[in-house]
Amino acid sequence: MEMINRYIYAVTQKLPQSQREDIAIELRGLIEDMLEERSGQGNRRENDVEEILLELGSPRSLADKYRGKKKYIIGPELFDTYILVVKIVLIVISSLIGIVFIIQTILEPMSILDHFIDMIVSAVTELPQAFGWTTFWFAIGELYGGMKQKDLIGKEWKPADLPPIPDEKRQIKRSESIIGIIFYTIIIVFLAFSNEFFGIWVFQDEFNGVVPFLNEQTYGSYLLFIVLIFGSGIIKECLKLVAGEWTYRLAAYTTIVNVVSMAAVLFMISGPDFWNPEFMNQLAEAGVVTAGSETFNTVTMIWNQSTFWILILFIVGLVWDAVDGFIKSRKK
Amino acid sequence: MADANEHLDKIMQELRRGTITIGALSQLSEPQYGYSLVTMLHEKGIHVEPGTLYPLLRRLEKQGLLDSTWDTNESRPRKYYVLSKTGKEVFDLLVVEWKNIAASMDQVIENKRGDENGDD
Repeated sequence: MEMINRYIYAVTQKLPQSQREDIAIELRGLIEDMLEERSGQGNRRENDVEEILLELGSPRSLADKYRGKKKYIIGPELFDTYILVVKIVLIVISSLIGIVFIIQTILEPMSILDHFIDMIVSAVTELPQAFGWTTFWFAIGELYGGMKQKDLIGKEWKPADLPPIPDEKRQIKRSESIIGIIFYTIIIVFLAFSNEFFGIWVFQDEFNGVVPFLNEQTYGSYLLFIVLIFGSGIIKECLKLVAGEWTYRLAAYTTIVNVVSMAAVLFMISGPDFWNPEFMNQLAEAGVVTAGSETFNTVTMIWNQSTFWILILFIVGLVWDAVDGFIKSRKK
Repeated sequence: MADANEHLDKIMQELRRGTITIGALSQLSEPQYGYSLVTMLHEKGIHVEPGTLYPLLRRLEKQGLLDSTWDTNESRPRKYYVLSKTGKEVFDLLVVEWKNIAASMDQVIENKRGDENGDD
């Protein structure tokens, strides 16, 4: 009898609370019926019980049949996207860890071994973490998104919905978007956590510090804009990744994203305290240029005009990006 | 031959899955409990494992094709299933569909045989 109890417990454990009792009684009745049939009214043998349980199959497979569907952490519908995102996340984080190693080694070449160990440690701790979190969010999506597909799209599928086979000229290479995402992420992380290294690196025999481009006092309040600018870059690349080919709609979206980042750049760069106000003096102090010399004057001029030219460059870049999108969408 | 049997097993499993539903519905104009249904079907040459039939009965009940009542008067409590009104309608429709399928299949298979004989 003990074995029957164990079997019933093992099956009902895997079922929803509300059905457990009902199924337990029914299952017990079934096993008793089967026992009765085998031994007639005669004595029961322990062997019979075992045979019957084998006939019913493993508790898991029986519970699966009662549940009527398989359980997934991440089901087949989400799986392809999941793999893609995992790949991107892992590549981005590996490249970040690698870049941190390279920067540290340039700054302190003597302790390269320590940096190397740091890199290995980061890889071992951060990569599984990233993998775990990505999986976690997808699992949440799976859990609460049982509807998905149909509910998301919200209408019946029609053959007319079939997208045309992407033209080679309009196709967006996945690798292109992925490299873009990696690039933007690295810039964000770099600017957010080590902006003091964003400037002129002074080497005299060895590394002598950095003359930063940005104003460290006001930097914190501008960080939001920096995240916004490069974050919208990431959004743009994601849109391209999902779309897979250039369409007018995609081009319109990227234009909107570009306008947003352009506005942010404009606002940020034209603010009075964005650039390091002491840049020229610090440059002279560091011994890169001599104050009052001809070079000093030229660099000062360049430094003063840089805001304007950076702005122009940015605008030209973003406008070109948008126009390029429309041109590519038009190709037949 | 062992290879052929392996294929046969897989295909038969798929084939049975649908027919068991019809088989079970056909016997449920009168209330039956799970194991009596297994025996009844067995006697009529339809072999179904209790581990398959019990979950199936529950599913059909949940879908509203079967009604169920617990009988606690006997030596052990038993759950009796019987066709609901919808269940009856569905079964009648299924029978028509099944006969069509059977007729078409017969024809297809017989034609094939005819062709083969013709080749001889």
